[in-house]
This record gives sequence, structure tokens and C-alpha cells, in this order.
Amino acid sequence: MSTSAQPTSRLSRRIDDIEESLIAIILGLMTLVTFANVIARYVFNSNILWALETTVFLFAWLVLIGISYCVKKNANLGVDVLVVSLPPGIRRIVTLLAVLACLTFSVLLMIGSWAYWLPFFGERSWYETDDIPVPELLQLLAPALNEGERWSKLPRFIPYFALPLGMTLLTFRFLEVAWRVIRGEQDLLIASHEAEEMIETLGNDAAQPLKKGN
Amino acid sequence: MAIFVLFGMVIVLLMIGVPIAISLGLASIAFLYIYSDGSLVIIAQTLFDAFAGHYTLLAIPFFILASTFMSTGGVAQRIIRFAISSVAHHPGGLAIAGVFACMLFAALSGSSPATVVAIGTIVIAAMRQVGYTKEFAAGVICNAGTLGILIPPSIVMVVYAAAVDVSVGRMFLAGVFPGLIAGGMLIIGIVIAAKIYDLPSQPKESWTEWFQAASDAGWGLFLIIIILGGIYGGIFTPTEAAAVAAVYAFLIANFVYRDMGPLKAQNDAPAISLFKKPQALLTAWFHRDTKKALFEAGKLTIILLFIIANALILKHVLTEERIPQAITEAMLAAGFGPITFLIVVNLLLLIGGQFMEPSGLIVIVAPLVFPIAMELGIDPIHLGIIMVVNMEIGMITPPVGLNLFVTAGVAKMSVMNVVKAALPWCGIMFIFLILVTYVPVISTWLPTTMMGPEIITK
Repeated sequence: MSTSAQPTSRLSRRIDDIEESLIAIILGLMTLVTFANVIARYVFNSNILWALETTVFLFAWLVLIGISYCVKKNANLGVDVLVVSLPPGIRRIVTLLAVLACLTFSVLLMIGSWAYWLPFFGERSWYETDDIPVPELLQLLAPALNEGERWSKLPRFIPYFALPLGMTLLTFRFLEVAWRVIRGEQDLLIASHEAEEMIETLGNDAAQPLKKGN
Repeated sequence: MAIFVLFGMVIVLLMIGVPIAISLGLASIAFLYIYSDGSLVIIAQTLFDAFAGHYTLLAIPFFILASTFMSTGGVAQRIIRFAISSVAHHPGGLAIAGVFACMLFAALSGSSPATVVAIGTIVIAAMRQVGYTKEFAAGVICNAGTLGILIPPSIVMVVYAAAVDVSVGRMFLAGVFPGLIAGGMLIIGIVIAAKIYDLPSQPKESWTEWFQAASDAGWGLFLIIIILGGIYGGIFTPTEAAAVAAVYAFLIANFVYRDMGPLKAQNDAPAISLFKKPQALLTAWFHRDTKKALFEAGKLTIILLFIIANALILKHVLTEERIPQAITEAMLAAGFGPITFLIVVNLLLLIGGQFMEPSGLIVIVAPLVFPIAMELGIDPIHLGIIMVVNMEIGMITPPVGLNLFVTAGVAKMSVMNVVKAALPWCGIMFIFLILVTYVPVISTWLPTTMMGPEIITK
């Protein structure tokens, strides 16, 4: 029985594509911004003020949004020794319990995240980041959110939105997993052979025969 | 008592197949509900602060990315060629070259499984070709690969430094000598095995071949200088060093080695010269190979950091409930000296390391044992190295030993056979663990000499 959901329709392939590109782009941006800051310091003798804060927030976005993708692809690490040794019937019940635990986690965090974020969007929308400049487009929202006052730096509700968005997506993905387990299409929540996949991704290029005199 | 409930919950959740990250997070939330008036908002905030509040952890994605570019970009192959031309003419030479290559790659990458994949895929096959048994080859590489987290840079060290607030730079320096000694002990083991089993040696390569191999590998090995020289020369922080390493590895892979990206050789043709295709300077940044490397590194980062973030929630719960203090008092009251304490730490980590991902385990165990260690006068850097070496052994012992799974895949063996194959070499690592645990000067000498004595703040 396959443990990871293969994209069935063109639409889901498309969504995979978007998620994968997003992960690549965020990590790429983090690296380039940090690198550019080093260059700016030594070559141009100045600092990119917003570099550090931006990278840190991108980091949060990468992980909090990305984790739902990893749930979808069953890429999370765990202990499968006990579960795989169970007879199929019991195994399904145990896995169902595991999904229930995951759902409890994600729903609780989803509630906490929205409760954490909403004040930043509402009464504390004036609360700004330390150094990140604010895009002009966002100022259009100022009349509605910030009593007409323009922000001088990016307001915090933008980076913090990773939390509610990420946890909502996570809940959605776990609901999907639960549905697949109920229908008997999936019987494990974790990557049972994470190693194989790692080799497939990291090793296929390294596995070329040793070249001499290259 | 409370602590047993907490860890009991974690273990039960792990056993029914809940991912590690969620086991840690859910147990913490449940614990807060049972034992105190926990608030979900605080938990959510702790989760976000795992990223926003820990600048040190930011080094991890960059080190993973650098290591991905190096594996797909042909750095590993060139390091192996260099290692073979350096040492393979001795009896058991290819095995020694394998260990040597693992040590060199470990000095570029911060992860053990990545080291096994990068070096193992090539070396295990090569060893079998010249007559080594599959078991011997897999056992050696599986163990030597664990050096990935001991020889700097190291992801696990970054996590330890972030968890207990010590300097990443010091941790990296502290890993140098233990790493060299561990590698040396494995090589001595091979030399002895070569005498007993009459292992094959390779023909000695010419000096020209050695020189060519060395200069070719030099582009990749220069990263060691960038990373360590950059950090200790005060040029950049460890996080920046990691980002620079990632960009450098990208440039080398695309424009010097040309094993990936727009200049990569197509169907046996030689790699394309940059002069013939100057637009590659731009297209390389958006090439599908680049995107794939970024995505794979990103995915690994997400999985690892979600575990660490949830371990930080658990840590938050532990400190909130003053559990470390309670344990410290209990242990001191029981009359534990430094030696018994270190044995307890070893046992705790060895058992824990069999079920948990190393970084997550460090985040949880470090705050528990750190205050006791300080009370007993154990050096925080030394404690960190002990933990890292324990994690190394954890990676080669079932059931969660990540290196075992990776080696099984690389060598196309069953995990059970890899466990058996790794066992004798694992014995060497045990002796090494005892050495590192009770001879602190191995770890502390280099950082103290280079950065001055440690100022310990409790």
C-alpha cells in the first residue's frame, strides 16, 4: 500500500508545483538577502538594515507554511517500528488515533494562532516591524486598518500572518489525511522510508561513476 | 512525577506513529492544560518565536542548502578522487580513503545522513568492485558518516548552541580535535582489519594525478577556509558564513565543476564553456537544477525546523514548570558527582537517541542537564561535544538511527544487515565516547586557546 498520496489530477499537480516553487523561492530569497548583506558590509561599507529581520520572518514563513506540504507528502519523521508490525486491522485503528492526535494539535494551534494574530490586525495594527520598509500598495489599507495613518515600517500583522495561515493549512491537510485513512488509502502518517527518498533526491547526481581527469 | 506524565505522553504518541514534531508539541499543550493554566496564544507565540527569536537557528537552512549544492554539484566526487589518490595505496586503502573522504565532506556539510549519501553512494560501490564485502563497506561508511555532525560545521552543534546560549564558534572549534581523533580511530581499526583479513590495496597513483585531484578538489575544500576562517577571522557570523557557503557552493557547482545548471555536459559531450554560453551567468539562478536543489533543501529544513520548533515548545513548558531545577536538586541531593552525572547523561542520550531525531533531542535534553552540569562545574562546551558524540552513536543504533536507513538504501542492504555490519565499528565509537566524556581537554583546548577562556553565565 502506498503511503504517500500521488497527485491524481492536473489541478493537484499544479498546486504541488506552486507549493514547491514557493519553498524554493523563499529559501533562495533568504540566502540571497543574507549574502547581499555580507557583500554590502564589506564591499559597499554599509548595512542592509532590513536584511536580518526580513530573513528571520521569511524563515518563519518557510517552515510554518511549508509544514502542510510535508504533511501532504508524508515527509515527516517518526517511529514506525511498532505500527508496521501490527496486523492491518489494528494498524488502521492505531493510525486513526494518530491522525486524531495530529488534528487535536493542529486545531488547538490554529485557535491559538488566530487569537494571537487578530489583535495585530485589529487594535494593534499600528505595531510595526523594526526595519522592514512598507510597500506603497499596502498603504491603501491604512485608512481601513490604521485610522488613516500611514505606516512608516511594515506592520507586524503581515509577517505574523504565517502563523494562522500555516496552522489552518496544516489542519486542512490533516483532515485530508484522516479522510484517506478512513477510506483505507493510507496507513502511515510518517515517512517510513525517508532514507530512500533522500537518496533519490540527493544521490542520483552523486551516483554517477567516478570521473577521472575532469 | 509531572515530568513522567509529560515524557510518557511523548513516547505513547511516538509509538502510535504520530510524527516526532507533533508528539512533542501535543504533549506540551496537554501538559500545560493538566498542570497549569496554559494559554494557546502563548503556545502559538512560542512557535513563532522559534524562528523570530533564534537568529542562530537561521544557519541551519543555509548549511543544508550548501550541502545540497555540493552533493548534486560534484564536490563529493572530487573529494573522493582526492582521498583515493592520497591514501588508497595502503592495505585497506579504499576503506581508509572512504573515511578520509567522509571527514573532508563533514568539514563542508553539517549533517550525517548527507555525508553518508554523498560519499557512500560512490565509495561503497567502488569498494565492492575491488573485492571488499558489502558488509565491510557499509559498516565503515555508516560510521564514518556520523562524523558529519562532529566535524564543524554541524547542524546539531548549532541547535545545541541555540538551546543553551553558548557560542556557535566555540562549539565548532571544540569539534575539530574530537573529529580528527574519531576519524583516526576508525582508520586505525581499518588498518588492523586489513592485517587480519588481508584487505586489498590500490596501485599507487602518480604525483601528477594526486596534484590534479588535489587542485580539482581544492575549489570545494576552499569552503572550509571560508566557513572557519570567516567565523574566526571575525569576518562574519556563523549564520552569514553558512549563507556565503551556500552561494559559493552554488557558484562552484554551476560555473567551475559544471555538474549542474545550464553549463552541464549533455550526453557525454564535455561541459559547456562559459564563453560559449555567457547567458548562463543569468540563467543559472533560475535553472531547474537550482530550483530543485532549493526545494529539496527547503523541504529538509521544514521537517527539521518543525521538530526543533516543537521541541522548543516543550522546553518552554519544562522551564515554566521549573523541572530542570527540580531535577538538579534531586540529583545533587542524591550525591551525584560529575562522573556519575556524565554516565547518566550518556545513558539518557543513548536511549533517547534511538527514538528521536538528534536535533529535537538536544533541544529537550540540553536544558534539563545543563543547569546540573554547571552546578557540578562541567564545561558547557565539553557537555555539548559529549551530546554530539552521543547523537552520533544514536544515528547508528536502531530503531531510528537515520544513518542506518540511509546506508541501507545506498548499499542496497536490509536495515538489519547494516545494523550487524555497523556493530564492530560502533564499538570503536563507544570507546571514543568514553574518551571524549572523561578527557574534557580534547574538546576544550582548541576553543580556549583560540578564543580565550569561557565565561560561564548561569
